[in-house]
Parts: sequence; C-alpha cells; structure tokens
Amino acid sequence: MSIVLPLDEDQRDALQELLNISMGQAANSLAQLIETKIDISIPKISTVTPNELYGLLFETKDAYYTRQSFLGDIHGEVMSVLSQSGLSEVAKLMDYDEPLSKEDIQEIILELCNILAGACLAGLSDQLELTTNLNMPTLFQPEKSNFSDLQWQHTLVMEVQFIIAISSFSMRVVFCLDDESLIRMKDTLDELLG
Amino acid sequence: MFEQLVSKLPVGIGIVDEAFNVVYLNDFFLDRLPHELRKDYKEQPVTELFKGQGKFLKRRLKSVFVLQHPSFSYWEQRPHIFPFKSSRPITGEETQMYQNMEIIPIKDNASGEKLACIFLQDVTAQASYFRAQQKLSQALKKEHAEQRKLIRKLDTAQSQLIQAEKMASTGQLAAGIAHEINNPIGFVTANLDTLSQYASHLLAICDGVESQIIHFTEEMQEQIQSLFESNHYALLKDDITELIDESSEGLSRVRDIVENLKNFSLETSDGYQTIEVCSVAKQLITLISAQYAKPEYKFECAREKLEVIGEPGTLKQALMNVMVNAAQAIEEKGFIKLSIIENENDIAFKILDSGCGIAEQNLKRIFEPFFTTKPEGQGQGLGLSVAYTAIEKHQGKVSISSKEGKGTVVQITIPKIPPQNTPADNSEPTTEALSN
Repeated sequence: MSIVLPLDEDQRDALQELLNISMGQAANSLAQLIETKIDISIPKISTVTPNELYGLLFETKDAYYTRQSFLGDIHGEVMSVLSQSGLSEVAKLMDYDEPLSKEDIQEIILELCNILAGACLAGLSDQLELTTNLNMPTLFQPEKSNFSDLQWQHTLVMEVQFIIAISSFSMRVVFCLDDESLIRMKDTLDELLG
Repeated sequence: MFEQLVSKLPVGIGIVDEAFNVVYLNDFFLDRLPHELRKDYKEQPVTELFKGQGKFLKRRLKSVFVLQHPSFSYWEQRPHIFPFKSSRPITGEETQMYQNMEIIPIKDNASGEKLACIFLQDVTAQASYFRAQQKLSQALKKEHAEQRKLIRKLDTAQSQLIQAEKMASTGQLAAGIAHEINNPIGFVTANLDTLSQYASHLLAICDGVESQIIHFTEEMQEQIQSLFESNHYALLKDDITELIDESSEGLSRVRDIVENLKNFSLETSDGYQTIEVCSVAKQLITLISAQYAKPEYKFECAREKLEVIGEPGTLKQALMNVMVNAAQAIEEKGFIKLSIIENENDIAFKILDSGCGIAEQNLKRIFEPFFTTKPEGQGQGLGLSVAYTAIEKHQGKVSISSKEGKGTVVQITIPKIPPQNTPADNSEPTTEALSN
C-alpha cells in the first residue's frame, strides 16, 4: 500500500478555501429548508490513522452516526456525527409530529446527513470541477466495528461542524478520501493553483 | 425505444414538476393505480394521486427542489410510501409493498424546467426476509436467555446437592459422635458424683482424727501430724472440692455442647413446623463459640418464645452459614452481635460483625454458588448461596451491607407465617456498600 503524501501548504490553503465556500453553501441549503439560522465551524483538514479517526468520531458524547459513500471522479465516505440533544427541536423544524418514534428519529438523522453531506460534497465537487454521486446514507455503529482492522494506514479527513443556533443540536460531517482520490484531488488543486 | 424501456423497467419511475404535478408515470406506477385514475393522472398533484404519505412526499420533494440534491427513504423507517399492494396478492405473506424510494433532481432539456424523478423499488421480498430473520434472531435470543437461566438453576441445584450431602454426612457423623460421647459422659458424671461423696467422707474422717488428736499419745500425735504435713493435708482439703466442682461443671458444659450438636444435626422431621427462634439462636451461638473462641458474642432477642413457622433444618443452616462467615471474618479481636427483631408480619435476624468486611467488587457475587475469597481448599463458596436459597424458600429476604476493614451486617427477614400459594420473590439479593 502506497503511503499518501500529505498536502503541501499551498494545496492545503486552497482546499481550506474551497471547503469554506462549499460548507457555507451547505449551511445555506439547510437553513433554507428548515428556515432557521445555522452556524458552521471553520473546516479542519488533517491526515489520520484508523485509530485517530475512531477517536475523532467519538469526540461527541451520546451521538448518532451515519455513513454514506460517494463515487465519481473521487471516491470516499462521509461520516456524520449528530448530537442526540436538540434533535426534537430540529424534527419540529423539519415538520415532524411529536412524539417521535424510533423510525422517525432514524429517518430524520438519515435525511439530515443526506442534506448536509450532499450539499458539502456538491459544493466541493463544483469548486473542483469534479463529478461525484452520493449514495444513500445508512446508520452506522462505529463502536461495533473494528477500526484497527481497516485496510488503510492514513486518510485525508475534512471535518466541519454545523450548529443550529436555536437548539443545542450540533452535527459534524467528516469526509474521508481513498488514496487514489487524494492523488486526483491534489492534481486538481495543483491545476487550480496554476 | 427509450420511452418503452423506461416504461417497462421493474422499478417505479415518476416525474413531477415544481408544483408536484405528475408529468410522467411508468408502467410500474400505472399498473398499481386505481382504474378510474389511469386515464387522467397527468397534471394532478402526486400527493393527491397517492394519498396517505402526502405530507412526507411533499416535504421530500420540496427538499429536492430547494437543495437540488437527491433524497432517500428506506422501508425500515417508512415501509409504505405509496399505497401499493404486495406484488404477490395470492401467495405472498405481506399484504403491502415495502418500498425504498429515491428522488433525484432533473432538468427538462427542452424547457429547462426543474423536475424531480421518483424512483420506487419494491423491496417486499428483502423486507419480509429481513423481518423473518429478525424474528428468528429474537427467538434465538430468548431461547438463549432461558437456557442461561436454566444453567444457573442447575448450578445452584448442584451446589445445594453437594452442600446437602456434605451436611448430611457431617450431621450423621456429629450425631454418632454425640451419641458415643454421651455414654462415657454418663458414667464419668456418675463416678464423679460418687467420688465427690467419697472425698467428703475422707475429709470428714481426717477432720475427725484432727479434732480428736489430743486424746492420742504424744508419739501417735507426732506421727499423725507428720502424716498430715507430708501429704499437705491443708492444701489438699482446700483444693479437692474445688477440683471436683470444676470438673463436674466442665462435664456439664461438654454435655450441653453435645446436646446442642444433636439438636442441630438431627433434624428428623422435614417440613414446616413451629420454630422457637430465641433458643435456636442461643444453641447456635453456643455451637459456634465452641469452634470460634476469639470473637465476643452478643445476643439480643425481642422477647422470649418468639416463634416462626418454617423448616428448622434449612433455616438453622442458613443462620449457621452466615454466623460462621461472621466468625471467620474476625481474626483477632472483635464482636458478633445477633439481634432478633420482631415486626408485625415478619422476624428479622440481624448479624453484625466487626470483621474484615467484604470488598465492594465481591459484594455483588457473594450469593453466587462457588464464589469464595478463601484460599483454595478452605471453602467451597457455597455457604451464602445455600443460605440465600433457604431464605428464598421461606419467601424471606436477605440483604448485606459491608465496608472493608469495618465489618458486615447481614439482615435476614422471614415472614412469621409463610404466605400460601404466592410465588416466591425472585428479586435479586440486595447488596450495598456500608456508608460511614
């Protein structure tokens, strides 16, 4: 397995800027749909090992997890971590009736992830002029999967946090790219940088 | 050709415009539409055409139009979006179709109008298979839990069998020994009584001689005096009664112990009967103090003649096991206090010791059969489990609180009269750490 070279400083800056723009667009999309204000954190870019990724996902206590893969010019997975608190307020904004059944909660989680991950990915691919298609999201239980057995050593991780201002709800979206896509993205970034 | 292909695809394809009006439906949808609607379904809102999940459908379509991004729905969360029957109305087990739905944004090439395409997949077969699997796994889980319960019961039963057998043999042994000891004690006691009489006679003779000494000749007087002195008569006279008294007291203690041992080991009649708890407790303390002499024993009883109805054998065994544990917890100095408290409907035995206590992590396990902290070969870890079962049998409760280095309190509560025909209390024994 080849060792993926991390991004150089220029590439990183460029990606950071692109992420800022696409995440902003994602937040706007969601805000438009549920008619409320959404704050986003500054996107973080890092290279992680499987165990570090595991730790990254578990930073949020009492969370729901989903994963969603994307194909196209670049391949990878988006993992989302949603706080359990504040979900009922978001459900109200999304026009769900109380009380929420277990199925309702699952549906809301999947839909939220689909919207945010979809918007982020669409924004990013737009900026990079790459085509991507997002597959359907599924619920994920990272505590039940063994991250130490994964077949890769390092991956590029882009992480951003969305916070819905009027409730305690927050959600982190973590993008991971496979090696081949990383090379492809680095090339694309280089092209953009001219 | 493409139109034909699309219409014949085995997935539902429907296209709606921004007002949610139907632009196109393929055969999958049309075949399932009521006859009267098949002719003029176009330009009708999709939510009117397929009522039921209209609100949900509207919401998802809106999200697709606003975000220009696909939306997904799964049968697990929302099985029936469109009110379609299962594709096997005759032989199928499911009556309604399970559906996965995907809505993707598209654009009319000619007009540039924004449209949404609904893909509908019939996943009834997968869903019904998955549900059957789930049912199976649940049944398996249940069975597994029941088996575990059974295994636990078996474990307990086995341990009790071992304990019962052990107790039966020690009981027989004790009874046999007690019987054997009783015989010699009988004649030793009788002989000692006679000896005591003889001694007093002998002393009377000697005293008589001493008082009449002046009537003897001087030579005789000297001889008698020297005889008295050489045999330390003064000392002997003082000591002999005391020695004999002490011996008979010791003998009566031996007799008591043997008697108690017999009472405890010879439970001839099984079954429920009236038990006088105070005397049982006293016997118990006598027995245990004979074996464990270091602790100081205290006893408190609400009143004399306190009675419960129960099985004397198992109840005594339970108390005995708890008391022995208390005694073993005290290595040097300490006390054991057995209090019997009378409540309206029940009687509580409170056994308090100032021994080494039980570590918190062990507290939860003390009632488990074969759990012991004693070195190998010194305990089987059955005492408390046997006690627990005995108390459970009496529909009583046992609770333990302990603090390491301070001591332990065990409280056993049993009803005065066993409630008839009520199921035994299955609650777990309570354990807690002793607060300061």
